[in-house]
Amino acid sequence: MDTAAPARTERPRARLVTPTRALRGAEIAAGATLAILFFQEFLQFSLFDPNLWLAYGPIFLGGLGGTVRFILLVIPISVILGFFLGWARISRHRVLVWPVTMFVDFFRGMPPLVLVIFAFLFGDDLIPQAIKDRLLAGIPLRVVSVTAAALAIAFHSAAYQAEIFRAGFQSVPMGQLEAAQALGMKPWQAMRWVVLPQTFRLSLPPLGNELAVVIKDTSLLAAVAGGEIVSRSQNFAGTLSISGYPVEWLFAIWTAVAISYFAATFTVTRLLLVLERRFHTPGLEAVSI
Amino acid sequence: MIRVEGIHKYFGTLHVLRGISLDVEKGEAVVVIGPSGSGKSTLLRCINLLVEPDEGRVFLEGTQVNRADIRREWVRQQVGMVFQSFNLFTHLTALQNVMLGLTQVKGISKDVAATKARQLLARVGLAAKEHAYPAQLSGGQQQRVAIARALAMDPKAMLFDEPTSALDPEYIREVLDVMTALAREGMTMIVVTHEMGFASSVASRILFMDTGMIIEEGTPDKIFHHPEHERTRSFVDKILR
Repeated sequence: MDTAAPARTERPRARLVTPTRALRGAEIAAGATLAILFFQEFLQFSLFDPNLWLAYGPIFLGGLGGTVRFILLVIPISVILGFFLGWARISRHRVLVWPVTMFVDFFRGMPPLVLVIFAFLFGDDLIPQAIKDRLLAGIPLRVVSVTAAALAIAFHSAAYQAEIFRAGFQSVPMGQLEAAQALGMKPWQAMRWVVLPQTFRLSLPPLGNELAVVIKDTSLLAAVAGGEIVSRSQNFAGTLSISGYPVEWLFAIWTAVAISYFAATFTVTRLLLVLERRFHTPGLEAVSI
Repeated sequence: MIRVEGIHKYFGTLHVLRGISLDVEKGEAVVVIGPSGSGKSTLLRCINLLVEPDEGRVFLEGTQVNRADIRREWVRQQVGMVFQSFNLFTHLTALQNVMLGLTQVKGISKDVAATKARQLLARVGLAAKEHAYPAQLSGGQQQRVAIARALAMDPKAMLFDEPTSALDPEYIREVLDVMTALAREGMTMIVVTHEMGFASSVASRILFMDTGMIIEEGTPDKIFHHPEHERTRSFVDKILR
């Protein structure tokens, strides 16, 4: 906008159609259309219809619980795995770099939906029989398969996060490592006190982005009826007419689902923003989105 | 204090140091000059073993230190180093930069380390800047913090690798003043620099290096005004002009 303002004062008559302006116009138009549509439907088939929530409420809450569980499974695994993969990628030891690069290239090159389907169908074949007998005895195959599908999403995100952390590691100037060594620090001390704190700060903004993506990617588990909010809502929506409920509830159901995902991503990205502010350091500002 | 005997260093096929020998007495300030690529920085890094010499021996107070049974971290604690590009830790304040070696390497408590770090910052004239991050300091101030950080380890000797080369002209003086004071207090120093004023007034000896060898050494007067070797003369002519 700051580019548009001076243009307007200097040449008041010329209507400059800059890309920013065109985009802004489209944005407003789209927003207005959505608002009109929304309110029309909203007024007729209220999201606050008690009958809707009597029928859909337990399903919604169950689905929300499922989605939160998948998020709580996928985020820690992907962050931890991504961190160590990123670290391994800058290793001096080729034995480490090579397999990690393969892992990253493979998972980045796969659509997460395809990964989910593969992991669901064949994931349990990858688990050695001994582990199945001892640790997974009594756990239904369905649960194992869906968990494998969730892990596939975690691995996919870990590949992206590996690149984020790799960039974070590489942004720390070599000279600082040398200075740490010159003080008499052991390599692990230089890593702990000099490199990691900076990697952490530099990785936060892109990490927030990636976590928002992976939260939304858990919706892909609907493809294997994962029991999260999309698949459960889909099931419920499919039975509306059979159960004699108004088909118009569809709008309310999917609005509730949409709001849930928005709330989840918003919460996580805001949390990361708080961390970012908390650890703000002059000279270590990464570009924030 | 520091003795180097016949060290050689190769980077791949590049023969960077070709049999350097050097003896620095306690309290002596030695200045090393020479064209870029002559091996000055590598020589300094061989002394605190940031770079391992491929041949030859490095002694610290009579003890050979480039032996497998001597911990490199121990050697580096004895010899402080100041870099051309300061290399302050970006995420730490001036005070924390000076404290880090004390708390993590020497295992000193935070309170004691902070007191000592404040004294050192005062000594380099930066008592008021203890809470500033490196990005908030001028080049000259950053380099003075870097000197304080190195001094915090109570080194027996200090190595300076072109400490003023990356500075804007107006900040060179303040850094050289700190170094001069340090030399006057009797710190053993090896300084790679092309600051001729500093070299003339502070150096007990000047070494001229070229192509990985010490071509000539002597008092500042001899090297700057009566060099024996043609290569020394042509180099000195270039930097004195």
